[in-house]
Amino acid sequence: MSKPTADWEKVGDRFYRKTQLYTDVFDQDLELENHVIAGAPYSGAVALYRDEDKLHAYRGTQTAKPTIDIYSCAGKLIRSLNIDKGIVKALGWSEDETLLVITTDGTVRCYHNLQNDFTPFTLGHSAEEHGVRACRFWLSGFVALLNNNALIAVTRYDEPRPKLLATPPSGDVASWAIIPPAYTLSRSVEVLLATGKTIYVVDASECEDRMLENGPFKHIAVSPNGNFIALYTDDSRVWVISSDFQNRLSEYNSRVKTPPKDMQWCGNNAVVLAWEDEVHMVGPNGAASKYFYDSWVHLIADTDGIRIITNDVCEFLQKVPDASEETFRLGSTSPASVLLDAVDLLEKKSPKADDNIQLIRPNLDEAVDTCVKAAGQEYSIHWQKQLLKAASYGKSVLDLFNSDDFVDMCETLRVLNAVRFYEIGLPLSYEQYMRLTPERLIQRLVNRQEYLLALKVSDFLRLPLNKIYVHWARQKVRSANADEESICKDIVHRLDGKRGISFEEIARAAYDEGRSKLAIELLDNEPRAGKQVPLLLSVGEESLALDKAVESGDTDLVFYVLLHLKKKLTLANFFRTINSRPMATALVEASAAYGDRELLKDLYYQDDRRLDGSNLLLTEALKQSDSQHRNDKLKVAAKLLQDSREHTFQVKAIDETQRLFRIQEVFEKDLGESFVGLSVNETIYKLIKSGNIKRSQKVQSEFKVAEKTYWWIRLRALISRRDWRELEEMSKTRKSPIGWEPFFNEILGAGNAKLASLYIPKCTNLTVPERIEMWIKCGLITKGAEEALKAKDMSSLEMLKNKATGNAVHEIERMIAQLAPSRR
Amino acid sequence: MAASQASQVINTQDITDKSRRDLLLLLEAVRGKKNLVIEKSLASIIGLFVKFSTLQEYGVDKLFFLENHNVDSSQRNIVFLARGDNARVVRTVAEQIRLVRSESKIDHDFTVIWVPRRTLVSNLVLEEHGVLGEANITELDLQFVPLEPDVLSLELEDCFSDLILRKDPTPIFAAARSLMGLQKQYGLFPRILGKGDNAKKLSDLLLRMRSEEDVNASSDPSNTYLTSFGLTPSSTIENLIIIDREVDFPTALATQLTYEGLLDEVFSVSHNQTEVDSSILGSAPAPSTQPQNGTSPAPTTATKRKVQLDSSDKLYPEIRNVNFATIGPLLNRTAKRLQSDQQNIHAPNQSISDLKSFVSKLPSYQAEQASLKIHTSLAEEISKFTKAETFRRVLEVEQTLLIGSEGSTVHENIEELIARDTPLPTMLRLLCLESTLSNGIRLRELDNFKRQILQAYGYQHLLTLTSLQKMGLLVPREANRGYLNPIAGSAGMGATDWNFVRQRLQLWVDEVEDEAGKDKDIAYVFSGYAPLSVRLVQAILQKSYLQTLATAGGAAVAPAATGAGWKGYDDVLARIKGATVDVVQKGNDTDASHARKTLRGNKEGPKTTIVFFVGGVTFAEIAALRFVGKQLEEASGRNLVIGTTGLISGKRVADVAIEKGTFGS
Repeated sequence: MSKPTADWEKVGDRFYRKTQLYTDVFDQDLELENHVIAGAPYSGAVALYRDEDKLHAYRGTQTAKPTIDIYSCAGKLIRSLNIDKGIVKALGWSEDETLLVITTDGTVRCYHNLQNDFTPFTLGHSAEEHGVRACRFWLSGFVALLNNNALIAVTRYDEPRPKLLATPPSGDVASWAIIPPAYTLSRSVEVLLATGKTIYVVDASECEDRMLENGPFKHIAVSPNGNFIALYTDDSRVWVISSDFQNRLSEYNSRVKTPPKDMQWCGNNAVVLAWEDEVHMVGPNGAASKYFYDSWVHLIADTDGIRIITNDVCEFLQKVPDASEETFRLGSTSPASVLLDAVDLLEKKSPKADDNIQLIRPNLDEAVDTCVKAAGQEYSIHWQKQLLKAASYGKSVLDLFNSDDFVDMCETLRVLNAVRFYEIGLPLSYEQYMRLTPERLIQRLVNRQEYLLALKVSDFLRLPLNKIYVHWARQKVRSANADEESICKDIVHRLDGKRGISFEEIARAAYDEGRSKLAIELLDNEPRAGKQVPLLLSVGEESLALDKAVESGDTDLVFYVLLHLKKKLTLANFFRTINSRPMATALVEASAAYGDRELLKDLYYQDDRRLDGSNLLLTEALKQSDSQHRNDKLKVAAKLLQDSREHTFQVKAIDETQRLFRIQEVFEKDLGESFVGLSVNETIYKLIKSGNIKRSQKVQSEFKVAEKTYWWIRLRALISRRDWRELEEMSKTRKSPIGWEPFFNEILGAGNAKLASLYIPKCTNLTVPERIEMWIKCGLITKGAEEALKAKDMSSLEMLKNKATGNAVHEIERMIAQLAPSRR
Repeated sequence: MAASQASQVINTQDITDKSRRDLLLLLEAVRGKKNLVIEKSLASIIGLFVKFSTLQEYGVDKLFFLENHNVDSSQRNIVFLARGDNARVVRTVAEQIRLVRSESKIDHDFTVIWVPRRTLVSNLVLEEHGVLGEANITELDLQFVPLEPDVLSLELEDCFSDLILRKDPTPIFAAARSLMGLQKQYGLFPRILGKGDNAKKLSDLLLRMRSEEDVNASSDPSNTYLTSFGLTPSSTIENLIIIDREVDFPTALATQLTYEGLLDEVFSVSHNQTEVDSSILGSAPAPSTQPQNGTSPAPTTATKRKVQLDSSDKLYPEIRNVNFATIGPLLNRTAKRLQSDQQNIHAPNQSISDLKSFVSKLPSYQAEQASLKIHTSLAEEISKFTKAETFRRVLEVEQTLLIGSEGSTVHENIEELIARDTPLPTMLRLLCLESTLSNGIRLRELDNFKRQILQAYGYQHLLTLTSLQKMGLLVPREANRGYLNPIAGSAGMGATDWNFVRQRLQLWVDEVEDEAGKDKDIAYVFSGYAPLSVRLVQAILQKSYLQTLATAGGAAVAPAATGAGWKGYDDVLARIKGATVDVVQKGNDTDASHARKTLRGNKEGPKTTIVFFVGGVTFAEIAALRFVGKQLEEASGRNLVIGTTGLISGKRVADVAIEKGTFGS
């Protein structure tokens, strides 16, 4: 086994290593020099597009059609995308492996999930007018440079909103770069434009000249963490400066006359220059190292290193991670290195192994940790094992040790080794994997249709599996040629009992493929009714959609479907559809009640709901101020109900309403006061109050108001009129249908105690104490006492005596005396 | 109070904080100063958890009510806050955006915040008005609003009319979403019990949402991966009890006799506030907490004053739930205590340290005094109302009906009250109470009453009466509706057998106080009538108590009622109308549920029960439930949390039906 340090190289005081990931990457016929190449972040796929500006060998007609080819890092062709129109100006990737293709006219196509279908959007009018010149991408957006130097930024792809940045000065742009929004102070993307001798910094609101004088700069590159900027000057020097343009950190002279064709950062501390077949790596303080290749070289920068791709190899150049350096550096005496040595000795069954352990005993835990970390950084399975063995050995000596990191690393390495396999071609470094997250790794596997591996990995990492199944099913729907029924059966069968499957997504895929029937069948398995509805509507299954909406209980959905239906169907059909669904009908009624009365009328008519129809007319009548119209409405309302037996009460009431109006109108004419709008009782009240007893009696007989009610109204009206004379008159009547007590109460309440007392003797149905109470209320204690005397109630008399004052006391005493002997 | 306990389990403060945070974040997202246009009903809800001054700190310049149609163009940013599930409101928003856009000279930035979510209909309506592209649309997921630490309300004002009159199930869906939110936070409700058709619908929706949640959770990329194993039963919540208002109309219709209930009856309480004539309160300092906005024309007439009614008050928590009859002595005692405190300070021989301790108590002392003053004047006003002869008459009729004695005087009394022009809502309440308690009124008598109502209050109330019939509140007694009909009985009870239920659940208790003058049964809230809804809750949680009550009441001894759920009371439930719900929810992954249990380290079983009212709850019921909760807490450390779609009272029930228009106006 070769030493792990074999591919290390010392640049300045740091070690860098170049790991060969894959060999035989591209077909030798592929002329890399004639292609534009873009690699997805985190060791993702690589997109190639033939550079239109360059000459290329004529290869017959089949290549005449331009395509974008997507390869894995190992050179496996994943997909070929046809570009039927427009000239591709830029290729780029987003964090979630969405390929972005931008054409001259400012059209952006987002190819999600490495699939053939895309969602387009446009950069707007100015892009169309002036044409896109180039684009720079970051993880979640990009900036387009137009031919008139205008800059357009897009910060998200799910709801893209192209935004024009501040206007930069005109002039030839020698090179340019962007600082992603996450690393700028303004939290908006910043663009560095090398124009003339200087560099302009452009953000959303302003454009600032940085006053540099060594331009024109052939290349600008921003480090992955946004802290440093590398500039390639006209006199073939590389400058590294801080991104606030305050400090110059290092300088390197390449001594090459031709400017490099590319300059990229390798991690955050080295800059890589690439000529056709030569690569310079400039470390800190201007130290450099050179690599030479046999063929054309492409650079793909990543967060922690850089991928170098030629026809033959795919390599990963990175700074040696600290843990690895500590463990493997020649002559290292770090505990980790000693531990690694110890495990080697142990395998050789040498007793020195234990000596080694004893040597580093105090730092053993640290050594174990370092070994575990270093294992994660290794690409060679042999050394991974060796390091883990060392860690395991060291750990066994320790009494207390938390093995979680060790276990996690073992799991991670299994996953990493699996996806690094050349047929998969995802050469993730440990750090990249951490940034990518397991979930998105699964997504990448699924995108490459590696379902089995995805399932295995998910299972191994205890991640949910449903998305993988759904993706599989969608792919199946797209590609399978079998008849719809068997596809559906197959899918349902395979996914049976799996949790959290979204059949809606699968059905949508089917619908997009034009297989509506299959879509409907698949939808039937979707557990979320709400999700089914929009798709069912687009398939044209309105009544089914309505059922599902009702089932979901979400009235918003039901409404949504109803609005659709109303637009689409004839009124009769619409009513027929909602007729059998009470909830839908209720919703239509509720919403129409506020706006669409005509619809409501039609609905009631259609359903033969006469009472509701008649009530609708009643409400309309209520709003009419003109008596003629009102009566018309009422007549129609009554007519609607006339035929049916069950509504006789209603009809009669409406009839009475009209009669009341007529009689009220007569009163209005006669008396010159307003009556319309009052109820029957109120009319009587008003009549009595204004002294029109005769008329009130007429109303009473006309509307058959009960005698009791009439008396009550009369009483109240007289009280409010303070017509004591009339009330006194009434006390002489022999009988009252409501008894006399109300008279007493009301009159007393109105404050006329004297008159009220007239009614006390008439309340013969009450008990003596009650009557005594009434006397007291009127302040006539003596009268009360007489009442008590009559009933021979001694205790009441005593009570009254206590209440009495002045003359009354003697009276009562006299009565007590009168009563006392008789009791004796 | 039970509230303090309950708050440990369901942290209502969290809910408040979250709502506030969410709203402010949304406002912050709109850069610079902005005018806020808010739906009136939302304004007072928002007022429950955020102050106007805070809104100002977040750049709100002026506040407008959506209903007033008076948005001006003084700010570039205009933010609308409205309910997205109401097409009418959406249309108003769209119209106003259009109006401002066409009238104003400057380019406005519109933001629409939909509560509780952005709906498909709102998109459609905005699109129809051509403003969808204009506005930046966000949503504020406002679900429960904690009125008190133990009362969660959705504060849907129209929930009763939606559900009962229009049969529009939107409130049920809103309730399900909110309860689902609780489940996501606290785990599945291990057992869902309920009574009534709407309760059934709600529990079905909850179950459906749970299965949908499985799919949702796993297709949501931003989701932490623990939840992708599905929800597990809660270790803190024991039951969810859903009571459908339709099951128990009489309780909603009867006059509430607790202090808070009567405040509601007389002044009407909404969102923990009531408006009172300032002449009643005298010249107390005005601690008006409502965001005063200068822009809306005539905010409140000068003679009205707002009184905050919640547990932040010193005195109110003590007196809100007591029967009004005992409020006098209680206020008296407080007054005496305050007076003795005051005398202490006037005592000449006070040390400095005494003085210091007193001064430190001074603010709370003053607050208490102010609150005593307010409540004394309120109580005085209420007692004017309760002493009126008609009130006594009404109460007499009510109680006769609730006791269930067939008195012929009831009808006479009702007729007399109509003739005396008693307010219409009161009369309708009485009639509805009779109808609901005896499953309809005989057709002839009903027609007679109807005629009297029409003649006394106007023929426009034909519509009112139809509405009441639709709601099932005032119906003719039909032969096939009765419980005596065997056919109807088999096909699910359409009506409640009140006589049986009254006896079996002891809905009438003659003596509500024990020897010491303390309330001993929930029946105190209605001075004798124990609300059916609360008895149902007791049937689940306090089986043995109900049992002793039944034996004491001399009822036929029921079979021993033990066990969980409805057990032991199946016979009663079968005689109450509406479906019965009893669902046990288990986790998908038993390992996970066990793991969660171990993690929580909770050895004892879950202790909190949520009682949810579909269609609204009355203050009297809340008082009764708090009473039950207190007993439970003393007995077994369990507690109750009350959830509801909104607050309701008999007045509001009647108001829903009453036709407001009059002829000739």
